Amino acid sequence: MARVWQLLLFVLIMAVLIGLPPLLGAGLQNAMTNMLIAALFAMAFNLLMGQGGMLSFGHAAFYGVGAFAVMHLMTAIDRGGLSFPTPLLPLAGAAAGLLVGLVTGWFATLRSGVYFALVTLALAEMLHSLAPHWEGLFGGEAGISSMRMPWGGFIFGQVIEIYYLTLIWVTLSIGLLYAYTRTPFGRLTLALRDNEERVRFMGYDAHATKMIVFAVSATFAGIAGGLLAVSNEQANYELFGTHVSAQVVLHTFVGGSTVFFGPAIGAAIFTLFAYLVSDVSRSWLLYQGVIFVLVMLYAPLGIGGVVMLHLRHWASIPWQRMVGPYAGATAATLLMAIGTVMVVEFLEALFSPHYVAQRRQAETSWPAFERFGASWEPFGILTWGPPLLLLIVGLLILLRLRHRIVALWDEVQETAETAARSGA
Amino acid sequence: MRAMTTLAVAAAVLSLGAAEVKAESLKIGIIESLSGAQTSTGRLFASAAQYVIDQINADDGFNGSPIEVVEYDNAGGTTGAADRFRQAVAEGVHIVVQGASSAIAGQITEDVRRHNIRNPGDEVLFMNMGAEALELTGEKCHFYHFRFTTTAPMRVNALVSAMSEEGDLGSRVYSINQNYSWGRDMEEAIRAAAEAGGYEVVDSDLHEVNRIQDFSPFVAKIRASEVDTVMTGNWSNDLLLLMKAAGDAGLDVRFGTTFLDQVGNIANAGETAVGHYIAHLVNLELEDEAWVQDYEQVTGHVPVYIEPQTVNAMLLLREALSDLDFGGEDIDVTQIGLALEKATLEGPNGTLSIRQEDHQIVTPVVVSRIDEGAKYAVDETQWGFVPVKVVSAEEAMYPVQDSCQMDRPD
Repeated sequence: MARVWQLLLFVLIMAVLIGLPPLLGAGLQNAMTNMLIAALFAMAFNLLMGQGGMLSFGHAAFYGVGAFAVMHLMTAIDRGGLSFPTPLLPLAGAAAGLLVGLVTGWFATLRSGVYFALVTLALAEMLHSLAPHWEGLFGGEAGISSMRMPWGGFIFGQVIEIYYLTLIWVTLSIGLLYAYTRTPFGRLTLALRDNEERVRFMGYDAHATKMIVFAVSATFAGIAGGLLAVSNEQANYELFGTHVSAQVVLHTFVGGSTVFFGPAIGAAIFTLFAYLVSDVSRSWLLYQGVIFVLVMLYAPLGIGGVVMLHLRHWASIPWQRMVGPYAGATAATLLMAIGTVMVVEFLEALFSPHYVAQRRQAETSWPAFERFGASWEPFGILTWGPPLLLLIVGLLILLRLRHRIVALWDEVQETAETAARSGA
Repeated sequence: MRAMTTLAVAAAVLSLGAAEVKAESLKIGIIESLSGAQTSTGRLFASAAQYVIDQINADDGFNGSPIEVVEYDNAGGTTGAADRFRQAVAEGVHIVVQGASSAIAGQITEDVRRHNIRNPGDEVLFMNMGAEALELTGEKCHFYHFRFTTTAPMRVNALVSAMSEEGDLGSRVYSINQNYSWGRDMEEAIRAAAEAGGYEVVDSDLHEVNRIQDFSPFVAKIRASEVDTVMTGNWSNDLLLLMKAAGDAGLDVRFGTTFLDQVGNIANAGETAVGHYIAHLVNLELEDEAWVQDYEQVTGHVPVYIEPQTVNAMLLLREALSDLDFGGEDIDVTQIGLALEKATLEGPNGTLSIRQEDHQIVTPVVVSRIDEGAKYAVDETQWGFVPVKVVSAEEAMYPVQDSCQMDRPD
């Protein structure tokens, strides 16, 4: 039964990904392209992190290397010296990712844990500081820029064409990554995470195995970077920046590293969040950070992990008793979110240069400010009262409901444990 | 996943609605760094551009309706800029405005070039307000890119001319710059101006960008080379820390700088900045008092840093638009470009215009000294920029780069 549902969900998502974009504007089509690329990057990262148990802080290195490789190939085609099918450009990213992944993987996987993370961090940082000075390879701080050439009847000038090209590549790549988990080597990767020493005792070369996992992860990160280069027709040293490495860690953790599709979910949500919210509010980075902290504190398994937990215990969850508290908690979260947004936006308005100018022109020392299409008094009860009330009410409801939800889940866990015991 | 789809659908409906209102009104997209480290500079470009557009709209607007302005946050990176550019184009933007960072300008100018090749008749124009990399009017030049700021040779030529007249240049010069395109442009310009300025570049340094915490080894080198003047294109921390290290070491040299007017620099450098020179596009003391006051009235502060040059650029655009009439029909961006080439603006220091061959603004450069007694003291200190010399456009200008091969639409 669960298999049928999973298949249905998969078909539905694919239908949306294929059918929706032509109905959207080019801006959203581009945002969805970025979403797919971020999803693939996070999935590639999670092969190493979630499955191999190696936390890399420098995955931007392979992402960037993939992008630059594609740019060099694109330039070679553009200058007319080479004929190469445009849709296959990301192959250059894969090759570069694999090569660099093998070489650096050999070094990095000599150590594990924190030392491994530091080596990868240093690796990306090395490229980040080297790239602006190496004009020939990385094009200085402006980077390399080129143009996609038409191929096989496709112009590749419209965003929608790039979207579908990206969709095909991402679907194929994630399919391959999924297939990988089904192979004996994929099982070995999990074993490596769980107990490296035992893997060694079983007669495997742990270092070589880790190196291969590293290289495979780097290859797919290279494809993701390559797709970005195809989409942007430009690559520069910023791709090696720590924020790119941090972003993928963030996506993976919010989405859930223990679930196969978790990182893709996290990447999709955050990319769309950034696209939609950054136009509306200047404080969007703050909101993104708050969401990340909240997920880490209260749902360390990530969004995908929470969904999986519910799916796994679907039958034994007492839904009649659960629906009420869940609905209440959702409403309370919404109240708190509205309260937070109001407070943040009010503060932002009060500290904006626009308001400083207003204060200079106005007669009174603290004129009313505009926000959400209404006018607010800086020290008014009506300004600060409602958001604070929302925050307090929401918090109280959440605190009350939390106990009930936890109690209900304890029951669920107990049933599951007794079932497991009787089964054994 | 479902929430995501709902969001996407909701946004789709919105964007479809937006697409229908297209044409007629001129749409300007400001793609700036509105979040992250460069926010303070990005905001200045946006507010200065907005200031003039509000004036145009207070008159008649353009083509029978007010000019629309949309701000896009490029999050301080080229990838963000590429995304925002595509979004802007999808929303029907005709003119893109950007200024902070040459790397981002490089991305946008290439995006504009590619867009215009692929969409003839539906062109987009790029007004570059502050990116000074030479390649933007060299290798990367194209008809739809206009630069409204100086470049390294213009600033250096002006500095050399004014400082030698004041007798503060001396015959031995040290060049210290950041190791990327701008810093290298500066070093080249400093060497190129040596003969005309009658000095010798004794030694030079190119160092990492915004990574050095301690400049005392460089200061020791400068002291050992016994120079009269240090010329630098450094900005932000690289400039402040360099000057402070020199001040702490009691080094007796003059600094010739280009970005000392960045907001907060004078307050930060304090006494050590006094007596040094800067070449910039506008000194407020020479400007018409009325507009400075009006600007303060509207925005809450007197125009600072790159704001005056952005205002001038927008005034040139206003001039260009005043010659055009599309009668409420579709806007032809190519016509705007051609009109912009012919637009001129009378400033207090001379005429501003656009050089046709590479779309570089032809502008006088002002050299000022940081001192007491300036009309507008900055950063709430007693110091300000005292004008020393206005270097005419002819004297400051540099030849068109050979690498610029512009395809013209006519």
